[in-house]
Amino acid sequence: MSTPLQVYEPFKAGLPKLGRYWKSLWSRRTFIKEYSKSELREQHFDSVFGQLWLVINPLLLSAVYFILIIIIGGATDSARYAHLTASLFLFYLVANSLTGGVKSVTAGQRLILNTAFPRIMLPISALVIAIFKFLPTLVVFLVIKAIVGSPFTIEMLWAIPVLLITIFLALGLAITISCINVYFRDIASFLPYLTRTLLYLSPILYAASDLKPSLRAIEVVNPLFPILDSWSQAMVQGEAPQPSSMLQGLAWATGIFFIGTYFFLSREREFAVRL
Amino acid sequence: MSSLSVSNAHLTNELAVSIRGVGLTYTTSIDKKPTLKARAKSLGRGKKQTRVVRALDEINLDIQYGHVLGVIGTNGAGKSSLMRCVAGILPPSQGRIEVYGSVSTLLALGVGFNPSMSGRDNVFLGGLAAGMSREEIAGNFDEIVEFSELGDAIDAPMRTYSSGMYARLAFSVAAVVRPDILIIDEALSTGDAKFKEKSLNRVKELRSDDRALILVSHAMQTLRETCNDVVWLHKGQLVQRGEPNVVIDAYQEFLHLGKSAAIDEDV
Repeated sequence: MSTPLQVYEPFKAGLPKLGRYWKSLWSRRTFIKEYSKSELREQHFDSVFGQLWLVINPLLLSAVYFILIIIIGGATDSARYAHLTASLFLFYLVANSLTGGVKSVTAGQRLILNTAFPRIMLPISALVIAIFKFLPTLVVFLVIKAIVGSPFTIEMLWAIPVLLITIFLALGLAITISCINVYFRDIASFLPYLTRTLLYLSPILYAASDLKPSLRAIEVVNPLFPILDSWSQAMVQGEAPQPSSMLQGLAWATGIFFIGTYFFLSREREFAVRL
Repeated sequence: MSSLSVSNAHLTNELAVSIRGVGLTYTTSIDKKPTLKARAKSLGRGKKQTRVVRALDEINLDIQYGHVLGVIGTNGAGKSSLMRCVAGILPPSQGRIEVYGSVSTLLALGVGFNPSMSGRDNVFLGGLAAGMSREEIAGNFDEIVEFSELGDAIDAPMRTYSSGMYARLAFSVAAVVRPDILIIDEALSTGDAKFKEKSLNRVKELRSDDRALILVSHAMQTLRETCNDVVWLHKGQLVQRGEPNVVIDAYQEFLHLGKSAAIDEDV
């Protein structure tokens, strides 16, 4: 008698075997890709105008916020506009993976009830979709940067590790929020307020250095703060970001990822009952 | 998690699935959806507004390779719950299930399909959802399309399909998966009479010595023809297991009389 390939026992809060879980997830990477692609297509991002919208939408957004900055009397030079677009686009990468991730598990009900697969695939594909939407805006930013005459330097390469940390953070957030939404379905309705608050707490409409000393606490409690600051340093000013900021961002991302993933993996076998 | 497409040869009569004392209880909340608001409201009242449903109760069952097992029972007997437990979708509340092979499920047709995409794209999407690799699907693509009899409609978006066409494509995709253990839950009664017979023939083809098939169906004649073993579930309990003709006759008698001695014992 051979040993059983799978054993199913009563649900206990605890992690599944990670090695096997990873193997199973890895074997489904094409599925993640195709699944994300089909979601994108459902939102019409495969058509010319759909992709154009991916570019127009962030441009309009940054224009609206730039008007806001002018009205409230912030600095309105071209460097500020470049800072605004760069930070806003990166912020939307995180925000999109949150809004996509929140319903990823509950919307995949039919899939969850009828096939066995690593459930973490669903928030991962929400992140993949957010990245797909982010890439065109990155090109838009580089064009804006060239137009406003902001310098292109070798230090801009620091943006790559910063982007990777952001993606890691966005993944952790998507996993966490998708898991929370299974238990508290009204989180999805709170989310717009949460992302809006995060937007104002982040150095997007203002520069991180403009922050009043009395409001420095924001820097500490907002996971996005250090990473957006580093991003702006590298992409807009073309300077190497402070290592401490990057490490702080990485610490946030790692913390959120591990806590969120722990909850997700230890609960995911229960999802089918909860949906 | 099911690991598919690692088909290693199994001997006939070798154990495929062992189900020991499995019970399953659902806790369904009276409130439709679990929300933070509802949780906050029920804090003061102490007790949670829930109802416990006992879907499976002390099920013991062994399934061997080379066998075709039919599962029968009235609606709500726990057939689908048991199948989901074996597939690893639902964790059992009690007991233990051991699975000695790769499991593929055909619990609902068209899982993973996206109606806004073409039939062609959905063949890949559905196949990947079932755990096949891209290459495997590409290799079987022509066979899938031919079996589904969709012809040129394969490149039209699936939202333009009739429900019969949808079901035909879904079954065709599912039929090319070659797992060690295949679970089919009422998925055979799709399409018109001609396609129904075709899909039934496909299931008969899938019967082989190194594979275990589990069929959940209300089509008694089909089960009499294909199975060599039938279990009858009622209200989460295993009532009878044995020769198809014997069990099905007993079941049909029960359906006509409304109750039988075997049921009365525990109720």
